[in-house]
Amino acid sequence: MMFRIDSLQAWAPDLNSDEAWQAWAQHPIRLPDNGEQPACDFLPPMQRRRLSRLARMTMHVAWPLGGEEEQLPFVFASRHGETPRTFALLGEVADQQPLSPTQFGLSVHNAIAGQWSILRGQRGESVALAGEADTFEHAMLEAAALLGDGAQEVLVVIAEERPPVAYEGWIDDVPFSYAVALRVGGIDPNPAVRAGQGWQLRLEPNQGASTTAAWPHALDFVRALHAGEDKLEHAWKTRLWSWQRIQ
Amino acid sequence: MNALQQDIAQLIIDTLNLEDVAVDDIPPDLPLFGEGLGLDSVDALELALALQKRYDIRIASDSKDARQHFTTVATLAAFVQAQQGACAS
Repeated sequence: MMFRIDSLQAWAPDLNSDEAWQAWAQHPIRLPDNGEQPACDFLPPMQRRRLSRLARMTMHVAWPLGGEEEQLPFVFASRHGETPRTFALLGEVADQQPLSPTQFGLSVHNAIAGQWSILRGQRGESVALAGEADTFEHAMLEAAALLGDGAQEVLVVIAEERPPVAYEGWIDDVPFSYAVALRVGGIDPNPAVRAGQGWQLRLEPNQGASTTAAWPHALDFVRALHAGEDKLEHAWKTRLWSWQRIQ
Repeated sequence: MNALQQDIAQLIIDTLNLEDVAVDDIPPDLPLFGEGLGLDSVDALELALALQKRYDIRIASDSKDARQHFTTVATLAAFVQAQQGACAS
């Protein structure tokens, strides 16, 4: 698979500018997560009110990457989805309380993709994915499939939220909440591609020699982009994903 | 606006997560749905649940009158009062 990364937008608590991400890429640290969320004040309050934290993070990173009138296929990927909402609903069930219709209605994995479609008037393809620790690569695989099917560009968002304390011990790959949006295009077979923006992604069997990545794969990719690195390897179980910048 | 009307306006704001809206922005005769405050059908369900919890009343989901009761804060307040009266007697 080959991609052109046309633009990138990322958000994490207190990391909300290119400069801040640049600094984080030089010294990646585990950020404190105190439930901060983007304001999304480009939306009127009546449209904002049903956006959860994860939805706000998604809107915040995706919003600037497309034109107001533009139709772009959308891939939303999250391994864990909205764990705070799930946990709250389960609490209501345990207490034998009636469930909030709004919360229940939004408690599906493609709810945020649906909200994106409504708020931006998107009528095209929309995919919501949940994979394992390599959900990011699977989202890119989905983007490659859409590009292969004729899409000019695809908008990919990977978003994860710190889970409620009750999930500690089960969820160990969300050091802090983050959202990454990539506007991705295909690579023209002729070599006149803008240098440095092209990436090749390959999947090989993991022979067991590679260790799991120190950071969630999407964050590690953002780090590599900012640090100007040309190669990345992300191993997960039997899969070894190799990223290579096309020079 | 009487105390019950104020209480209901605040309940609407809190339940439906209406940022930047104050009690004074919802006068008793403002239409809540469509033109007016701009609430929708999901809000109606959410509000019905909140009213039942808060005032310990029952709202039949198939009631033909529900639409009328949910028109404004004033009609909701009258409905809540009538329900509470019916339960007390």
